[in-house]
Amino acid sequence: MKTDFQTVILKLQEFWSQKGCVLLQPYDAEVGAGTFHPATTLKALGPTPWRAAYVQPSRRPADGRYGKNPNRLYRHHQYQVILKPSPQDVQDIYLESLKYIGFDPLLHDIRFVEDDWESPTLGASGLGWEVWADGQEITQFTYFQQVGGFPCNPISAELTYGLERLVQVLQGIENIYDLDWNGAEGNARMTYGDVALQMEQEFSAFSFEQVDAPMIFRHFEDAETLCRHLVKNKLVLPAYEYCLKASHLFNLLDARGVLSVTERANIIGRVRSLARQCCELWMENSHHG
Amino acid sequence: MAEWLFEILSEEIPSRMQKEAQAQLKALTESSLKENELSFENIRTFVTPRRLTVAVNGLPLQTGERTEEKKGPRIDAPQAAIEGFLKTANVRREDCEVKETSKGSFLFVTIKKTSCPTQKILSQVALSLLEQFRWPKSMRWGSLSLSWVRPLRGLLNIFEGEIVPLSYAGLEASNKTHGHRFLAFPSFIVESFKDYQKKLKDHFVILDWEERRVLIQKEITRLAQESDLVLFKDESLLDEVAGLVEWPVGLKGKVDPHFMTLPPEVITTPMRVHQRYFPLSDSKGNLAPAFGIIANIETRDFGKTIITGNERVLRARLEDAQFFWEQDQKKPLQSFNTTLKTRLFHQQLGSIFDKVERLIKLSSRIAEKVGVDSNTVSRAALLSKADLASLMVGEFPELQGIMGRYYAHAQGEVSEVSQAIEEHYWPKVSGGPIPEAAPSLILAMADRMDTLIGFFTIGVTPSGSKDPFALRRAGLSLIALSLNPYFSLSMVEALSWAYETYPWSELSPSLLKNKEEALHDLWQFLLERFKFTLRNGQGSPYDHVDAVLAVADTNPTFSDLALRVQALDQLMDGKDGQNLLIAYKRTSNILRIEEEKDKQTYAGNVREHILKASAEKALFMSLLEKSPHIQELLTQRNFIKAVQGLATLRPTVDQFFDEVVVNTEEEEIRTNRLHLLALLRNTLHQVADFSKIEG
Repeated sequence: MKTDFQTVILKLQEFWSQKGCVLLQPYDAEVGAGTFHPATTLKALGPTPWRAAYVQPSRRPADGRYGKNPNRLYRHHQYQVILKPSPQDVQDIYLESLKYIGFDPLLHDIRFVEDDWESPTLGASGLGWEVWADGQEITQFTYFQQVGGFPCNPISAELTYGLERLVQVLQGIENIYDLDWNGAEGNARMTYGDVALQMEQEFSAFSFEQVDAPMIFRHFEDAETLCRHLVKNKLVLPAYEYCLKASHLFNLLDARGVLSVTERANIIGRVRSLARQCCELWMENSHHG
Repeated sequence: MAEWLFEILSEEIPSRMQKEAQAQLKALTESSLKENELSFENIRTFVTPRRLTVAVNGLPLQTGERTEEKKGPRIDAPQAAIEGFLKTANVRREDCEVKETSKGSFLFVTIKKTSCPTQKILSQVALSLLEQFRWPKSMRWGSLSLSWVRPLRGLLNIFEGEIVPLSYAGLEASNKTHGHRFLAFPSFIVESFKDYQKKLKDHFVILDWEERRVLIQKEITRLAQESDLVLFKDESLLDEVAGLVEWPVGLKGKVDPHFMTLPPEVITTPMRVHQRYFPLSDSKGNLAPAFGIIANIETRDFGKTIITGNERVLRARLEDAQFFWEQDQKKPLQSFNTTLKTRLFHQQLGSIFDKVERLIKLSSRIAEKVGVDSNTVSRAALLSKADLASLMVGEFPELQGIMGRYYAHAQGEVSEVSQAIEEHYWPKVSGGPIPEAAPSLILAMADRMDTLIGFFTIGVTPSGSKDPFALRRAGLSLIALSLNPYFSLSMVEALSWAYETYPWSELSPSLLKNKEEALHDLWQFLLERFKFTLRNGQGSPYDHVDAVLAVADTNPTFSDLALRVQALDQLMDGKDGQNLLIAYKRTSNILRIEEEKDKQTYAGNVREHILKASAEKALFMSLLEKSPHIQELLTQRNFIKAVQGLATLRPTVDQFFDEVVVNTEEEEIRTNRLHLLALLRNTLHQVADFSKIEG
């Protein structure tokens, strides 16, 4: 079975499509994780059932390593699945998906290891596990309990596959940059490095060296102001987008290492407050139909 | 006699919660069976990552017929109360009879309980177990409103092989369960506990936690022995892994030799903490380039894929560690202190660097006081927290102090300094080792004192279950460190120095307690920890500690106090002590009554020529001889001997009470005898205030 990066994505799309998920595209603003996509954060709130799946490129400025570390990336890819309410056999479906992409569970050691998830910026938390394959974490499996400070009801199951690590295990490859991206032969063959190395190098340099902290801080404050304004005007999706922007700008400042502990806690609190307001507005709207 | 088997199948239960859950299930089952008046022979409970099981045998098939008398309200009680009673008991007024009791006429009713099949009661018992069970952390799932540690997936509930009906969380009880998640997919029918345990094993599940733990240890030991290696003792890792697998299979992985130049702790931390691997060592105790993996599965390639995967994961982690190791050593350790200026210790108490500066002052002062080289101590203090800003500790927080030691050693610090950097965090766990080297010990104490006095001055003190800054632990550690007899340090004095190293004037005084208040509160807090420590450590009862504290100097050292209490424990364990205590109580009772009557306190001014009876003369001579001697022994801190001195008083004291009447008609003799008793009291008080001792 083919296990190149893009085939794995295609297979996952196929699998989750068959399970009744809406296949979405990545959110077109910078986010740190698939969870931040409104299709997860906002949709996890309120009573309406929902199933969606999508790839989400996720930016973690502090994890950039100029393309030199075989395991850490400025931008990695998550495959995100949200199932609301969580089905009774969700673990089995998940394991079935692993088989579908070429994982033989009788050859590997697959484990569910306790890991309670929490996002201080989103005011969200859940219980679940890291799923390990031969000691490598390949998925974060979470039952959302609360988002934006609001309890979830019904409860969603969130499956976040770390695509690079998953494909690393499938291909048995040590260095992410050597991963087979497109499964082609000869000149057409593309590795992960061919596709992503330049981005890693340049964005690492950007976030560690070129981020103009005072300017980014102004951007942060602008995003915060705009978000509040949009909340007041009951435009929940645009408001939430500016909350995401504020969150990303915070990540940039954090990676640049210019925040003291107090400032850091303070900014996290400000983003959380934005997220909470967006969620509150979303809840109001969902109750009015 | 009949058997009940109830298995709660769920998604993976966190390992750290399993043992407690097993115990809780047993306790709940026992109380629920008793509440339902079901007799039983024994209850066994089991836990695996996916199941929580209880098996009870010796149950009756059905409960017998019996009657039960219920007492109701008084006959003149308000109508509502009577109706309430009738309703709960489900009887009519005419079913009741009136009985006279000492408190008046009451309604009584005799209820006939008919025989009930046990199976029916067990439905209730099983339900109540599910409802009453408490997890340290639980969750909801799907559209259900109930909660469990992770979603429930199956209920196996059988009595004598028959299904005990039960509906819960959208599940219906059955006589089926599942085996291993991957090795045995289809479910199977269970007929009895014996059948259950056997079929689980056939389906690759070892039900018993202990059995899994023993097997894991055997597996790893076997793998180690194959290469003439041994397994590092690590009980908590064994416990954790026993809760991670249902079917333990040992495999051996290799570490790339080039990583073996890293410090062993750097290699074993990701192994143990992050990956749950078992480090192996050679016969000399040196870390070997190999590790044990416990997989949850047997594979057709005999674990080859699993080993390769795990080796790859470890390699990635060690590559990071190697990078950190090299990067961190590119600059002097002290330079990391710059970063500590922006790391908060506490909002009001400043940065970690501020703490470092205080530690330099405080630990030098203590060193000077106890005659230890203060340069060594202050150098160690300066570097004590630097590694917190290193890349390695950033990634592996467990290595705090340990990396500091390595980096200090590598840059040529003397060994007392590098050692103190590591050891000032000791004891790492309650009962853990205490540093032996003086600089380590001083720095460890200074660090705790600084933390405690800081938080007590800003009024952040532990209350109830809330102790976010782990001050109770800091207090216990400080006491454990202070019990060291190498040097004696007055705790109250040292704490006041700790107070003085803070720049309190920079903070708003309205938010602070004053020095006396803070020291008083902290001292009381430490005394509580001290009592706790002595009770748990040397088994000293609280009243012995109180008896010693009541007579100790104002500036005691904990080590002296502990020795005094220990001496008192020994005395009170024997007959001498118990008799002295009786004599003491008699003495102080007489004195209390007579002093009240005479409106004066007897100080012990005995006039020798008035002594008459031979027993009182003997007691006086004995006190005169022994009291200064006891005092001297106490000054020499020879508490055991001092207490033995007290014990030798016993025959003369006993004789005195046997032969002498204190309250005689002759006033002069009476007064003198009261003074003699006061002298006895004073002598005993040199060692302990016996009035605090219960008995």
